[in-house]
Amino acid sequence: MTFRQKLGLLAGASIVAFSSSAFADSTVRVTIAEYSKGTGPYFQEAAKAFEAANPDVKIQIEVVPWDSLQQKLTTDISAGANADLSIIGTRWLLDYVSEGIVAPLDEHIKPEFKARFIDTFLTPSVMNGKVYGLPIAASARAMYYNKDIFAKAGISAPPATWADFKTDAEKIKKLGSETYGFGLQGKEIETDVYFYYGMWSNGGEIVKDGKSGLDSKAAIETAKLYKSFIDGGLTQPGVTSYSREDVQNLFKQGKVATVITAPFLSGQIKTEAPKLNYGVAPIPAGPNGDKGTYGVTDSIVLFENSKNKEAAWKFLDFIFTAEQRTKFDKIEGFLPVNAEEAKDPYFADNADLKVFTSLLPNARFAPVIPGWEDIAKTTSNAVQKIYLGQGEAEATLKEAAAKINATLK
Amino acid sequence: MQRATAPYFLILPSFLLAAAIILWPLKEIVSLSLHDVNRFGILRDFVGLEHFRVLFADPDFIAATWRTLIWTACVVLGTLIVSVPIALILNEDFYGRGIARILIMLPWAISLTMTAVVWRWALNGESGMLNSALRDLGVIGSNIQWLAEASTAFPMQILIGILVSVPFTVTIFLGGLSSVPEDLYEAAATEGAGRWDQFRLITLPLLRPFINIAFVLNTIYVFNSFPIIWVTTQGGPANSTHILVTYLYELGFRLGRLGDAAAISLIMFAILLVFTLIYVRLAMREEKA
Amino acid sequence: MMNRKLKRSLLFWLCLSPIIVVILFPYAVMTITSLKSATEVLNPTWWPEELHWQNFSEMWQTSGVGSALANSLYVSTLSTALTIIVSIPAAYALSRYEFAGRNAYRQFLLVSQMLSPIVLVIGLFRLVANAGMIDNLNVLVIIYTGFNIAFCVWMLQSYFSTIPRDLEEAAWMEGANRWRTLRSVFLPLAVPAMVVTAIFTFINAWNEFVIALTMLRKEENYTLPIRVLSLVAGRYTVDWHYVMAAAFVASVPVAILFAWLQRYLVRGLSIGAVK
Repeated sequence: MTFRQKLGLLAGASIVAFSSSAFADSTVRVTIAEYSKGTGPYFQEAAKAFEAANPDVKIQIEVVPWDSLQQKLTTDISAGANADLSIIGTRWLLDYVSEGIVAPLDEHIKPEFKARFIDTFLTPSVMNGKVYGLPIAASARAMYYNKDIFAKAGISAPPATWADFKTDAEKIKKLGSETYGFGLQGKEIETDVYFYYGMWSNGGEIVKDGKSGLDSKAAIETAKLYKSFIDGGLTQPGVTSYSREDVQNLFKQGKVATVITAPFLSGQIKTEAPKLNYGVAPIPAGPNGDKGTYGVTDSIVLFENSKNKEAAWKFLDFIFTAEQRTKFDKIEGFLPVNAEEAKDPYFADNADLKVFTSLLPNARFAPVIPGWEDIAKTTSNAVQKIYLGQGEAEATLKEAAAKINATLK
Repeated sequence: MQRATAPYFLILPSFLLAAAIILWPLKEIVSLSLHDVNRFGILRDFVGLEHFRVLFADPDFIAATWRTLIWTACVVLGTLIVSVPIALILNEDFYGRGIARILIMLPWAISLTMTAVVWRWALNGESGMLNSALRDLGVIGSNIQWLAEASTAFPMQILIGILVSVPFTVTIFLGGLSSVPEDLYEAAATEGAGRWDQFRLITLPLLRPFINIAFVLNTIYVFNSFPIIWVTTQGGPANSTHILVTYLYELGFRLGRLGDAAAISLIMFAILLVFTLIYVRLAMREEKA
Repeated sequence: MMNRKLKRSLLFWLCLSPIIVVILFPYAVMTITSLKSATEVLNPTWWPEELHWQNFSEMWQTSGVGSALANSLYVSTLSTALTIIVSIPAAYALSRYEFAGRNAYRQFLLVSQMLSPIVLVIGLFRLVANAGMIDNLNVLVIIYTGFNIAFCVWMLQSYFSTIPRDLEEAAWMEGANRWRTLRSVFLPLAVPAMVVTAIFTFINAWNEFVIALTMLRKEENYTLPIRVLSLVAGRYTVDWHYVMAAAFVASVPVAILFAWLQRYLVRGLSIGAVK
């Protein structure tokens, strides 16, 4: 064989190698967003267990970092190369539904299956009367407070109202060490939500009658309240450089006395700051007793163009059994979405989690509106301007509200 | 006959590969920018230049454009100024030169994104090791919140940009310097030329094509550089550190406005094209002279 | 004489020291953080109370870095080789032949660099998906090669142009054909430029993230940057000590490559031998 012939053969072989990567027909591909280092291994294990019971189906788990999930889904869908199932933020679901990209699940859902869920968590994925996703992850927000710092400042209980909270924060400031009463998030994902906590307490809403609530009296007062915390030195300095993880870290280090965040912080504290003496309390109420917390779910959806809908559904049915859900939520520190699972002593007897579940009746989920990310971004930009003192509260919020109203149309 | 076709035959493989990665995507981007597109890249109506009109009415886009120019100019010029002397030193014979070369190239060994992640971690206001180092050294009395405002964040990002561009640039220069034959210097020395004259009359002219490469390529890469700014501030707070490529990513992949994002990428492409064509033309004239 | 070299060395190290401090700073942060325990990692101390070497083995077991390391080595080495193989003829043609479209070709190569990979990724992905070649490491090799050709051709061409023509012509006189001359006279002289391009290509391929993430599917195909970044990007909590340990491990092969290749950056004895 001459050199040239060999070369030709090699080229031919590599083309064969290229084209052999097509997916087998009975394979169900699942795009998984990585919540923690336990996410990938959990799903791999679940897939194996499922395959053992259903030898005719193969599950292929494709783990994607959260930050890249939107980019990955966009490119995948644009080329029609998306998986059969994927985790997405429920707040994006409407955009997927209105483009006809995800399939309704109702034909598969038997009453027995529906009865597994706690209603609060299933409703956000229901649109136009149809179920378009199942709540793979659920959480809510509450206020973590550092009992030792509170005690040192002579405060006996977590603040019931924002007015109490401000007095408490001032007492903590008087301690003189570099400790701050209010851990305020001002950067990246959920900067807007951190602002809504106060806004809800003041009786405001994100969207009311199809219009942004950002120019309401409640929103403006909240902005002024937060700004007074910042100006008074009651928050950590430079709030616009602290993302949610950063503020949580400050809390673990005892540098801020409070942080409003999700149940998974309890698990992190257990391994990273086991000596921290903390409690979990509801988010403070407003002057009229209004309260609110943020409820979030992520959904797992079935794509309309999936060729394996039956097999994919079987897998969904499997991972939403009480046994699988319990395993997953324990690993991730999420709230149980499954009524059976919630009875597990791990959840039922957990003091921290009880606070979170008790707040659920007041939980606001992201409203069903198109372009949620656009609105979140506009809101975050506006509150960052206010935190930095680059814009006056009322004018900045009114401008943002006008922009959001244009998006909502 | 053979002489006439030989060069085309020689460039063919490289042409095919380079064309494959650019032509098809370029066509896709042009069509995205001229159509109404949904967030998943599905084309709808033809809208002409509507996306461009939207962009030019967007103050954040205009601000990001100017910031991109500042960013590129500062990082590229800063890199050149730092790199030339370093390359000259590393080209000399001295004790520990091998180690010095490895040290200078080290920032290159970690991916840009990872470097940015490490810096973000180091620049953290309360738990960052930069503040704790500066405090220990007595340079600052209280923590600086580096990333809280554009006025401190952006200069820091430029500094990181320079730092990560130095290894590439120095390496090109080292490659170029090694093409300068030693005997030229010896000849010059016997004719009584001083060190400065040697640098001006021998090194610099021979190094010029390599400086041109470094300048043009650095400009392109820095202009398009995404990780440093995205990882440290995501263009915030309040859009105050966005450059075009981060703004584009946000519009396209976060906010689902792929049409606008495609339009930005064409504008960026046009800016770079004009810049490099002018520069290459000037540089080539100089090279020939 | 020795004394003069010593003095010069001290002076040079002094000049380099500011930049070296700045360069080593992030490395120090990385190394120190990678050795802290989970409870200490959030404190910005420079001297950890105890050194947690086990971070490395724990990271290795949980993050799947091992197979990713192999994939990255495969992709980077192959794209480096392929890039050099296709760039040398092109650079040779540009520096030794006058032909119509020569300048146009050089400028076309530059144009191929002007779209940011982030922008290209949608178009590239559609192309690859249409060809049914998703989740294939060899596709990455080809794409990375395409991206690096421009620099390599430019660099090699500039360098080739500094090699005097009479060296080759002398060899032809002695009856060697073009190919032999190229192999035994020309290329040995061009080693420094080839080293620069090899380093450049290897590192670009080693560190590339966006395209790899878009094209790859199965975990066993993931490259190193995907593994390392997934430890940081958007998780509810970040195990900084593991992240830094992974970043450290990822940078070691490249550092070794530097150490091995930097000596070839000096034009070798070959030029004297030819003369």
